[in-house]
Amino acid sequence: MATLLWLQGGACSGNTMSFLNAEEPSACDLVTDFGIEILWHPSLGMELGEAAQQLFYACARGERPLDIFVFEGTVILGPNGSGRYDMFADRPMKDWVYELANQASIVVAIGDCACWGGIPAVAPNPSESVGLQYLRKAKGGFLGGDWRSRAGLPVINIPGCPAHPDWVTQILVAVASGRAGDVALDELQRPQTFFKSFTQTGCTRVQFFEYKQPTMEFGQGTRTGCLFYEFGCRGPMTRSPCNRILWNRQSSKTRAGMPCTGCTEPEFPFFDLAPGTVFKTQKVSGTIPRDVPTGTDPISYMALAAAARVAAPRWSKEDMFVV
Amino acid sequence: MATVTDLSPAGATALDLHVSPLGRVEGDLDVRVSIRDGVVTSAWTEAAMFRGFEIILKGKDPQAGLIVTPRICGICGGSHLYKAAYALDTAWKTELPPNATLVRNIAQACETLQSIPRWFYALFAIDLVNKNYARAEGYEEAVRRFAPFVGTSYEAGVTLSGKPVEVYAIYGGQWPHSSFMIPGGVMCGPTLADVTRSIAILEYWKDEWLEKRWLGCSVDRWLENRSWADVLAWVDENESHYNSDCGFFIRYAQRIGLDRFGAGFGNYLATGTYFNPEKYARPTIEGRNAALINRSGVFADGVYYDFDQANVREDVTHAFYEGNHALHPFEGRTEPLDPAVGRKQGKYTWAKAPRYEIPGVGAKPLEAGPLARQVIAGKPGAESWQDYDPLFHDAVTTVGPSVLVRVLARMHEAPKYYKLARKWLDELNLHEKFYIKPQELPDGRGFGSTEAARGSLSDWIVLKDGKIENYQVVTPTAWNIGPRDGKEINGPMEQSFVGAPIADPSDPVELGHVARSFDSCLVCTVHAYDEKSGKELARFRIGEGA
Repeated sequence: MATLLWLQGGACSGNTMSFLNAEEPSACDLVTDFGIEILWHPSLGMELGEAAQQLFYACARGERPLDIFVFEGTVILGPNGSGRYDMFADRPMKDWVYELANQASIVVAIGDCACWGGIPAVAPNPSESVGLQYLRKAKGGFLGGDWRSRAGLPVINIPGCPAHPDWVTQILVAVASGRAGDVALDELQRPQTFFKSFTQTGCTRVQFFEYKQPTMEFGQGTRTGCLFYEFGCRGPMTRSPCNRILWNRQSSKTRAGMPCTGCTEPEFPFFDLAPGTVFKTQKVSGTIPRDVPTGTDPISYMALAAAARVAAPRWSKEDMFVV
Repeated sequence: MATVTDLSPAGATALDLHVSPLGRVEGDLDVRVSIRDGVVTSAWTEAAMFRGFEIILKGKDPQAGLIVTPRICGICGGSHLYKAAYALDTAWKTELPPNATLVRNIAQACETLQSIPRWFYALFAIDLVNKNYARAEGYEEAVRRFAPFVGTSYEAGVTLSGKPVEVYAIYGGQWPHSSFMIPGGVMCGPTLADVTRSIAILEYWKDEWLEKRWLGCSVDRWLENRSWADVLAWVDENESHYNSDCGFFIRYAQRIGLDRFGAGFGNYLATGTYFNPEKYARPTIEGRNAALINRSGVFADGVYYDFDQANVREDVTHAFYEGNHALHPFEGRTEPLDPAVGRKQGKYTWAKAPRYEIPGVGAKPLEAGPLARQVIAGKPGAESWQDYDPLFHDAVTTVGPSVLVRVLARMHEAPKYYKLARKWLDELNLHEKFYIKPQELPDGRGFGSTEAARGSLSDWIVLKDGKIENYQVVTPTAWNIGPRDGKEINGPMEQSFVGAPIADPSDPVELGHVARSFDSCLVCTVHAYDEKSGKELARFRIGEGA
């Protein structure tokens, strides 16, 4: 039996909503089959009245053991570091987060906001939002870069806007079953088992990418081509299993014709949504993608692209996802 | 728990409860109520969290709202996307192919179909098993069905609620937080299997949850109910109805008194949603009302009015923003104040107070949400292709609004929207366009609006020099939980608390029922204060939500 407490700061509840889409295990299975005792969650569970309030204090003071502290949403520091833009039970939420994080064996940040600050931290970051151990790409965040939980681990970052329910449930099951040590993290503290592969891994458009054939228009235009060239798709530069573990058991954004926005990376939303950057590939000299696939450089990539276009078979210029 | 102190010499009790926090939508909501003789006499709702999305959007790419606004609320993210796309459609004067309108309609409906059971079982029904009702007839049955995680209906209801958004993911890639609706249409170009799979998923959800567990009858039989008397007769019509979750809920709710409080002002707003593909091929602000399948309108003091976005104001007299103006959203300003400073100016919440100026009548607070929508559905004069449904106009004019009526209005939308989504799936023409590339105009104004599961949701966008000059979002939560205005008139939810009986002030579950009947999904910590001395009497938490 592992105890879990889940709070939300500067959040939209999207990660909770995503979590509730889970099957195998479902949110209910986590409790009934895997012995996770959800002490409290904003939308689940029975603890009401004085009991819940006392429970927070008991966990924050270390009087009640807390195995897993899950945080969703940014830590709001504004205005001027006071935290008064996000009050929870009469205190700035940041004060609860600090105390609970330091009592928990393991701390899990769910979603971009808790990992890196996410959308609320986009300039001018009106709420002075930060993630638990990062602010966008800079290490530090609310708890500090060197912070470690009672179990000696940094915050486990499960990013995404939102995180996929399976990324959450599988990590919770691993931690609850004593396998926290097996959760290997990458340099951004993301579980490698999910975030080593690229969003493009498993994308149905990868053959168009192979021959550098672009999608030229949304809607009916997405029956062919790859979204990387014109529509700003970040699939080749983004680490996520979105095309290995499908969304809502059905699809993914890129399969459905929507460019990947890179939402598992700390820079999301890229280019801070500056005019001309939304759903448009940023190019150098009007033709060369400014960001090329991870690990390549623009010159080698352009050489490869030229060769690929020469080799492109006829079918790669035709519709594939047809009626 | 603290007991209530007898304050008045005559033996009447008077106290203030401070409910903090009571919200979990765009942050936490605190509620303060005054109670006399066991009845709420006044209430103040306080939204406790600020992120500043409207400030973030200033100066950004015109399409930034398609990515940013869904993240305002992950529960209604698809609705945010829907209205953000229409705001740009009207600003850029796009042309929408019929398929694009249909796919947007299907996706919006599926988000709401997901929300109905998820909200009922995970958020609302939890309060039905509150120990305060332990002696009520049917309590054990309520626990058997609705207890969190283990209730026979809870697990099925919560898990099956994920099915309709599987359909959303087929067109949008994922739910929540896709941005696949764009000016000029949608990003997807669905295949035959996408449509057949959508139909199969929707039918499964309808069979397994909506008909088998919730209604105990066919969708069409339920929709024969055209008055409140019909609904009550339906319950007793046969054992299947009587023992369905819906039948049980109606019976149990009456036993524990949910039909007797939570009325509010009885004034309603729907901005409407779902467009007729032929009538809104060229979206404009002016042409919007005439193209709506589920109509817009205002119902105030027993009179129906047409909705006009030009009559919306946001009053910040009691909100933590600079000034005390009431501006139209095109001119709206979002200039936050430190709450510590704002409180000294009589401000108490982050929600602005939306008001609707009825010509010749004045500014009114209006309740948004399923009940509002269904009351507006009873407005006379519908075209043959528009929704006309007299059931809830009948309910509010015969038995009057209450927690029970508000909840049932929401549940009533499940069969209605299922039928619509199913019909729109049949109307898709896979050989036609889903997108028409628009011209990206550097300047313009747009208005987009829809009905999120919990009520009217609108964007006003001003574009200048290819950038966002101003972006204002008015959410259903603001309509409902917004504060007093400059005339000191309560917001709708504040008003709905008034008159609620509080049986046990140390566990005022009645406040939770009222709050959650608005689907504001509330986390509630209650602080009880001596009304005269201001001394805290009790502090406790009454509920939760997502």
